[in-house]
Amino acid sequence: MSSSSYSSSPCAACKFLRRKCLPDCIFAPYFPPEEPQKFANVHKIFGASNVSKLLNEVPTFQREDAVNSLAYEAEARLKDPVYGCVGAISVLQRQVITLQRELDATNANLFRYAYNEMPPLRPPPPPPSSAAGQSSGFSYPYQWNDPSDEDNERSSGGNM
Amino acid sequence: MTLKSGTTSACAACKYQRRKCIPECLLAPYFPADQTKVFQNAHKLFGVSNIVKILKSLDPSQHAEAMRSIKYQANVRDKFPVYGCLGVIRQLYYQIQLLEEEFHSVLSQLEMYRQYHHEVPSQLELGMAPPTNGLHFLTAVPDMPVSMQHSYSNSNNIGYCSSYVDSKDHNNNNNNSNSNSNNNNNNNNSLWIQHPFLATNNSSSSNSNENNPLMAIQSQLLVSNTQPLVIQHEVVQDYDELHPFFDTIDDRQSFIHSKEPYDSSCEDSAKETTQAIELVPNNELKNAAACFSLTSVH
Repeated sequence: MSSSSYSSSPCAACKFLRRKCLPDCIFAPYFPPEEPQKFANVHKIFGASNVSKLLNEVPTFQREDAVNSLAYEAEARLKDPVYGCVGAISVLQRQVITLQRELDATNANLFRYAYNEMPPLRPPPPPPSSAAGQSSGFSYPYQWNDPSDEDNERSSGGNM
Repeated sequence: MTLKSGTTSACAACKYQRRKCIPECLLAPYFPADQTKVFQNAHKLFGVSNIVKILKSLDPSQHAEAMRSIKYQANVRDKFPVYGCLGVIRQLYYQIQLLEEEFHSVLSQLEMYRQYHHEVPSQLELGMAPPTNGLHFLTAVPDMPVSMQHSYSNSNNIGYCSSYVDSKDHNNNNNNSNSNSNNNNNNNNSLWIQHPFLATNNSSSSNSNENNPLMAIQSQLLVSNTQPLVIQHEVVQDYDELHPFFDTIDDRQSFIHSKEPYDSSCEDSAKETTQAIELVPNNELKNAAACFSLTSVH
């Protein structure tokens, strides 16, 4: 159902912003009126003007993906104002590391069986998951590759 | 940067806004004057007022962590304007899926070895004839010990996290003219994938013999994420530069490219072990027969 035609109902963005939804409204294809919460979240976290600027910088065929990712990040930030979606990234990163470690241990076990025919060892318990660099029990996947940022983060507001 | 006597230079935020940086400036500790790019990224995505709003809604003790995540999110969005952190999350899910598959494959082989070592010695002790078909265990695929699943499904309390995997990802290279017909609700189809990694609603106790949560995830990932394979081709090029992101693990691109070697190595090692297993029973049979003939039946 098209929401961008002049005669149809305004898109969720224009409804929220209480303005006329023009035919060339940049939000209309991605914020249908049936999903008011989507735009409300995005507007609350990022702001409509920022979203508009971001969409203008992205090719048309990728705008929907961009909007969806913004909506996801906005919802994540609303649910977790401290970490937002970065919390999920950190958790997944740790899981990858743990899984890789267990896989390596199991592979080593399998080699023992295959080539030595010895009883397999139980995989060693994973070491404590406190990764290096945690200041608050929360590990970031990576530091932004800005040396001054890293130095300043360590010295000033990065860790509390 | 010249410093006036008794004053420090304005933070990047106040410098950008061309205003006086007061001592109580909320953003000053997190955007030093020399971090203009970081601030610009954050400002471009969130805006100063929204950042301040977020900080004001939090306890002061949480400001530092919140700012770290905001800066990180903004920097990732600057690097990947379309997918941002969601692209990173998808990549990690995909990586986990591959690792899980390989892990299950290795576990199955290991279990075969264990079963074999269990069966043959016990049958010899009992004086039973060793199995005429020593290869029968090769066909058995025991249930996987799913301690891994246990840990993963338990791992986290971020119940909200769901992957915005839109079925329209199919069409991310096409016109999105049909998008409005599909995208209706957050809970539609496979748009939102609730992962047990991140949800607490999967019971750990049911994991002993159930691959279901992860298999469900995997099937969802497989069904709905054929596009991410496409997306990843797009994103991987960007991730080339994000080597520090995966400092502790394989680089994204090398990992993607090594998917096939992972598969082939699994297959090769499976073939090798299968052949080894095929050979072993013959020897064992002979040894067992020799034992049997020399000793009395127990």
